[in-house]
Amino acid sequence: MRYLVFVKQVPDTTLIEVDEQGNLRREGVPSILDPYSEHALELALNLRSEGDSVTVVTMGPPQATAALRRCLEIGADEAYLLSDRAFAGADTYATSRTLTAFVEKFGECPDLILFGKQAADGDTAQVPAEVAEMLGADQFYYVTKAEPSGEGFEVVQDYGDEVRTCRAPKGSVLSVSEGDINRRLPSIERYLQASAMEIKVLDRIALGLGNFSVGNKGSRTKIVRSGSVRSERSCTVVDGSDPAKAATLIRGLF
Amino acid sequence: MIRLTDLPEDSPYTIDECKIRGRADEVLIPVSEAEVIEAVKGCASITISGMRTGMCGGSVPYGGTVLSMERFDRILGVGKDARGFFVRVQPYVTVRQLNDFLRKRVFDGISDITEGAAEEMKSHPEGFFYPVDPTELNGSLGGNIAANASGPRTYKYGPTRNWVRRIRAVLSDGSVLDIARGDIRAKGRTMEIPFSDGPRRFDLPTYQFNTEVKNTAGLFVEDDMDAVDLFVGSEGVFGIITEADLYVIPAYPLISSIVFLPNDGDAYALSRDFAGSGVTPEFLEFFDSGSLDLIRSSRRDDPRFTEMPDKPDNAGSALFFDLPMDASLKENFGRLEHVIEKHGGSLRDSWCGYELRDRQRFFAFRHAVPQSIFDYVARLKGSSAPGINKMGTDMSVPLEHLDEMMAAYDKVITRYGLEYVIFGHIGNGHPHVEIILKDMDDFEKAKKAYMELAAKAVELGGSPSAEHGIGKMKVDYVRMMYGDGGMEQMRAVKRAMDPGYLFNPGNVFGGEAE
Repeated sequence: MRYLVFVKQVPDTTLIEVDEQGNLRREGVPSILDPYSEHALELALNLRSEGDSVTVVTMGPPQATAALRRCLEIGADEAYLLSDRAFAGADTYATSRTLTAFVEKFGECPDLILFGKQAADGDTAQVPAEVAEMLGADQFYYVTKAEPSGEGFEVVQDYGDEVRTCRAPKGSVLSVSEGDINRRLPSIERYLQASAMEIKVLDRIALGLGNFSVGNKGSRTKIVRSGSVRSERSCTVVDGSDPAKAATLIRGLF
Repeated sequence: MIRLTDLPEDSPYTIDECKIRGRADEVLIPVSEAEVIEAVKGCASITISGMRTGMCGGSVPYGGTVLSMERFDRILGVGKDARGFFVRVQPYVTVRQLNDFLRKRVFDGISDITEGAAEEMKSHPEGFFYPVDPTELNGSLGGNIAANASGPRTYKYGPTRNWVRRIRAVLSDGSVLDIARGDIRAKGRTMEIPFSDGPRRFDLPTYQFNTEVKNTAGLFVEDDMDAVDLFVGSEGVFGIITEADLYVIPAYPLISSIVFLPNDGDAYALSRDFAGSGVTPEFLEFFDSGSLDLIRSSRRDDPRFTEMPDKPDNAGSALFFDLPMDASLKENFGRLEHVIEKHGGSLRDSWCGYELRDRQRFFAFRHAVPQSIFDYVARLKGSSAPGINKMGTDMSVPLEHLDEMMAAYDKVITRYGLEYVIFGHIGNGHPHVEIILKDMDDFEKAKKAYMELAAKAVELGGSPSAEHGIGKMKVDYVRMMYGDGGMEQMRAVKRAMDPGYLFNPGNVFGGEAE
């Protein structure tokens, strides 16, 4: 089997603080492998058996190789970086177009394509669905488990209020929402091996994409305005010695 | 100044992490140095109080006034001298607060002690950190200085003493001593400190203070010693720190690793050979077979317990260390491979991680050991042994005697029929041995075992109190090290600096000789 995992490098959102004006303070915040991407990679590695391979791919600037390197440390077999100045400013549509081009030209008919359910920085959760649509593949969201079954896979989707077990044919796109809390750590040996592994870089030309299909020019989203939303809570304290008063207040809340 | 009287029995001001309850007539909470001076002039007995995270009762009052420094919680300024950058702090600033400040570098309200220091720190690419990691990050820096706190990173950076640039303290007559390193030095073993009524000259103890191992037992002394060092590690018996300058250094990325080994002896041997490999880790921490067993059993109850993968089946012990992620990392791992294999391990039976969220998992794993012991004790407390407790040791020995000390731990503790686990700072010859106590009989046995082991540590050239200090609980071990003569020499310093035994009575050398 051939598993293809799309991953993303994101700033460590746990370290980003918001100042009084609602601006994100990103200075000095390190970039990490998106935790959701890591869930997808973990699932692929758990599925991999003898003779299978796990390929990781990301679109990003040259420094995004660090996220791919980490995937190799955790256990991926090969890694591709899709990188070109023209890719800058891509929305989810242009991103999906670029990733789809990779699958079509270099993917060698993957048996399963995996994503994290969303990226920790953008939070759109749109790319897996858009790639599935562009490929004409079946898509499964909120996946928590997957196992080989017959010709395809059996996947468990957790919608919060409903858990579905479905049969996914080969070539399906999965967006993975959960991972093992005891997730893998590389050994020092693997860390050293991975540091010597090649990361293949593909640019726009290699992917056969025109200037107007990628990056800002290929994007359909236009950001008109962005701002932070403040929500404030008020509090009423009722003396507990007067239950009737407390009950009136509680009734008023509904 | 806030004054609290009629303290409730469960007042937080009369207890610290040693869990022994003291008593006090009042609590004073000054907001300025002038109010500290006012308190010094108006009180008969003062126990200085910070975050009360100490393990030996140093801030537990035995009557009199508790002077809580809780309003002295500001970072005041930054500066730079020939050695490097420093931060000026009030004593109630915590280690965590200082490191958060150094990471975020928001300089609103922070003054430049030397011109341009804030701007220079702000533009530094990597940020800064305070190299002393006393594990308890909520401890106050005033307390850290008073206790000469150390911790895992002492392996590379030494204890708090190495990082104190300047101290400002209120003395027993209400005068203020503001000294940087180099301002006042002893002549041989004679020190002279200015007070309001003129200089007071006194002899320092003549004993050899052991700096070969981690050591907080007794007053630090050395020939021609700096007066700053009289205060660092003195447990507050000479004055009340109101300000301090602490050196900080540029931060750098680190990779955490845990290497699994077949048994405890392999880990002792590897920790000794680490130094010879030419690789200097930030720290070297040890997990014995008992510690790993406890973690295994906690994970059986809750697979999420450590947020770590399963350990290799053959793991009988483990070493945990951090290395800088610089150009020499591969070479350093290469050097370590040889010594790790020599002691039955391999780079395959290991974990490593460098993203912050992974490194936090390593530290959680380290903390899982004391947590497991705590849970184990709590379980027994709730079922078969309601009186159960635990007793932790704090002894260090030179590395060449580590095997002998380890053998003694096993021999002595098992002779008393007690259970134990060992973990912690093996790189400094200072692992923590946690003795599990099922009832009061065990407690009595453990105290005897502890005394024997302390004597053994001293015999091997070590210290019975490596980092937790003396407080009021370990005065007997100070006597064991320095004898009655040494105790009297320490009291002579106290009589010169604080003749009325105003500050922290009972700490380090007890009261006046009975």
